[in-house]
Amino acid sequence: MYTAGVQDRELKAAEYLQSLRDLAQELERAMHAIARNALAEFEESIALQQSLCGRLGELARELSAPLEVHAEDMDTWLDNDMTNQIQAASGVLQKLNLRYAALLQHSSRSVALMASLFSSFKGQFQEASGPRLKHQTWSCQV
Amino acid sequence: MGGLNTTLLVGMQALDATQGALAATSNNIANANTPGYTREVPQFTENEETTSGSLVSGGGVNLEGLQSVRDELLNLQIQNQTSLQSSVDMQSSTLQQIQSYFSSSSGDDISSELAAFSSSLSQLSATPTSAAAQQGVISSGQDLANAFNTTANGLTSAQSYADGQVTQTVAQINSLTQQIAQLNGQLTQTATTVNDGGTIEDQRDELVQQLSTLTGISITQSNDGETITTGNGTPLVMGSQSFTLQTTTGSDGMQQVLDSTGKNITASIQGGTLGGAIQVRDQTIPGILTQLNTLASQFATAFNAAQAQGFDSSGNTGPNFFTVPANPANAASGISVAISNPAQVAISSDGSAGSNGNIANLSAAVNGALPSGSTPASAYASVVFQVGTAASNATAQSTAIGLNLQQLTTQQGSVSAVSTDEETTNLILFQTAYEAAARIVSTIQQLNTVTLDMGTTGGY
Amino acid sequence: MRVDPNMVPDMLAAIQQSQVSLNTALQQVATGKSVNVPSDNPSAAANLVQNTIETASVDQYTQNVSGVLSTVQTADSALSSVVSSLTQAVSLGTEGANGTSSTSNQQAIAVQVQGILSSVLSQANMSYQGAYLFGGTASTAAPYTVNSASPSGYTYNGNNDVNSVQVGDQMSVQVNLPGSQIFSNANANVLGSLSSLVSALQSGTTSAISTATNAVSTALNYVSQQRVFYGNAESQLNSQETYLQQETVSLASQQNSLVGVDEAAAATNLNQAETDNSAALAAAAKVLPDTLLNYLAPPT
Repeated sequence: MYTAGVQDRELKAAEYLQSLRDLAQELERAMHAIARNALAEFEESIALQQSLCGRLGELARELSAPLEVHAEDMDTWLDNDMTNQIQAASGVLQKLNLRYAALLQHSSRSVALMASLFSSFKGQFQEASGPRLKHQTWSCQV
Repeated sequence: MGGLNTTLLVGMQALDATQGALAATSNNIANANTPGYTREVPQFTENEETTSGSLVSGGGVNLEGLQSVRDELLNLQIQNQTSLQSSVDMQSSTLQQIQSYFSSSSGDDISSELAAFSSSLSQLSATPTSAAAQQGVISSGQDLANAFNTTANGLTSAQSYADGQVTQTVAQINSLTQQIAQLNGQLTQTATTVNDGGTIEDQRDELVQQLSTLTGISITQSNDGETITTGNGTPLVMGSQSFTLQTTTGSDGMQQVLDSTGKNITASIQGGTLGGAIQVRDQTIPGILTQLNTLASQFATAFNAAQAQGFDSSGNTGPNFFTVPANPANAASGISVAISNPAQVAISSDGSAGSNGNIANLSAAVNGALPSGSTPASAYASVVFQVGTAASNATAQSTAIGLNLQQLTTQQGSVSAVSTDEETTNLILFQTAYEAAARIVSTIQQLNTVTLDMGTTGGY
Repeated sequence: MRVDPNMVPDMLAAIQQSQVSLNTALQQVATGKSVNVPSDNPSAAANLVQNTIETASVDQYTQNVSGVLSTVQTADSALSSVVSSLTQAVSLGTEGANGTSSTSNQQAIAVQVQGILSSVLSQANMSYQGAYLFGGTASTAAPYTVNSASPSGYTYNGNNDVNSVQVGDQMSVQVNLPGSQIFSNANANVLGSLSSLVSALQSGTTSAISTATNAVSTALNYVSQQRVFYGNAESQLNSQETYLQQETVSLASQQNSLVGVDEAAAATNLNQAETDNSAALAAAAKVLPDTLLNYLAPPT
């Protein structure tokens, strides 16, 4: 038999595992959103990631806290299989995070470059659009 | 990978080199042709300079007229490389798709399942009376058959796709040749005016360029206008007349391409998406499929023969384990497991339920030489090598041609402009989002330490 | 500022190349593999097919060794028990054959030997994980059943065949001896000799008891010899186990050299690829402002 404390622990661990997986999924989603220049979706994903991180931190604190051990608790260690799954999910998340970090670094540098270019060149472009302007009237300005 | 960078790259690749659209020009620019080739060179006359305080402005130039400068040779080279690139790209993308079936990363490809099947037999030989071990052989046999089915189906569906491309491309070709012929007709009428038909020639060049992505073409000029043929001489456009291509279903169910006289020119089409699709559909994929079918067929036959040399748990001669369709072309796509009763795996050599004596024969069928001379594993490895080499070569070719094209198209230019305000706003929003995202990245990194520590300290 | 269009293709190429390298580096870090599809390295992919098969074989051999070892040890321990039982029977028989033994004593001994006979019978009918160990390859039915019509009092229901199990590419180990060879062969019949001893003790005839006891003694020697087979099988299996462990390591190392990637090197490559890519973009940004701008499409 297990006391409520240990059962509660198992539930928390399961939630931890699920949150790790959800967070990994959110990272994927964010990367896809960046690829499609989908700003709204990107921002949404970031918000979700923030809340997942918060929850994970909370759970981690609770799971690491000492537990009152009762005589009836046959075994207070977390299920071995659960621990393995958590470690595996954490591994996947970290790898994904690495890719995600590289993508962010990359993209944000380019964005910064472009933003500065824009501000320096603003006003010196023709407003007309269209792929091929065959007829140019060249005029001179300094 | 994604990101603004990819969008950027895609755009850059699609873009011919741009010339500066900068309005702030200097007198140099106004008075000289821009470096490299231009499609049209304005004929300018220079205005006088004006002075205003300490600033000296060039007076600019006035546009007098236009004269097109066309480098026919350059166009031809570009068309040639473009045809080649389209063909290679078609093949490359198909091969990339196909080769995913031959990758062992997912663990359910033929090599992984063959290994698992072999293991299941070995397990059964160690525990011949175990029902679980018997079932294990059936299940892994089914997985192996599925792997063959999936791989073969992947190949045939890529083939179907290429077949669809043939139909589609021929229709596009016909549409283009009609338009080109029409423009040719207009050109012969306007040849005498001052404006040397610049716009119409541009349009026609553009269409010819598009045509060259669809199939390899050969162009000759005469007084009557342009003659465009396919690489081996089938006429497409002669002056203001166009010739349509037709498609018809061949004996193998695939679309054959006919010229306007009804002659079958499928085998002689090279270059362009059409050439690439035909190559992949008629040469590359059938080659791979044939090997796969041979392997499936010989393997099933050998294993069934090994079954027949032994006895099942009831003492009966082992029945066929695999069924292969009668048509050899469907061997790999149709191979399936013929038995469902685990007790019918013929592991016994003396009829008794606990004997494993027939394992030698069963194992030899899986790991020994087939009539082709190779073991199943080495036959399959050889296919993997072929597919990998073909895919890698196609990609390399595509890159090389792409670079070549870039150098050629540097002389072609187009001018474009864009409105900046919207883009600037988005940039700033993205920047903010990236900063928030970066903070989360480091939070996640820290989470790793926390997760690793969980479960290692006592007091749960 | 003058724009030199001729710079563009070089920049495009540089950016494209650096992007490809970056993608590759990212994928290697993420998957830990340098070969994910055959085109990454066709000959490594082909060699990997063989490695996959061999690795699976070695894994299975390892399991087989472990499984067969348990079976063989169980059989050996059953025989060890039989040897003890027979030794005890011999000593009882000797006592019973002693002229000083009274009839009631002999009766009592007969009962004890009967008990030993039952025990030996159950050892002969020992099964492990659902298979009888001493029936030859007919392992689904008990090898020895009572049959009053038979001279020994028991019928052997098994056969004389043996199984071998492959524990290495070139190595098979025979894993059983048939009961007919151990318990009921022409030279020494374990169950029969014990039965006879019981009858002799019950009859009280000293000479009969003596003869029966000798027969049991012969059977005892015979069984002891047969046990050697199982001992040998065990040592073969143990040394094969060690060999397979080495093979496993060597195959894993081969796989890694074919398709694995050095994590530290991959991380370094990634950093370098990022730097190169950013540099290419930055250089392009300085001279191709309008080109860059064309391709910032507003989000759809």
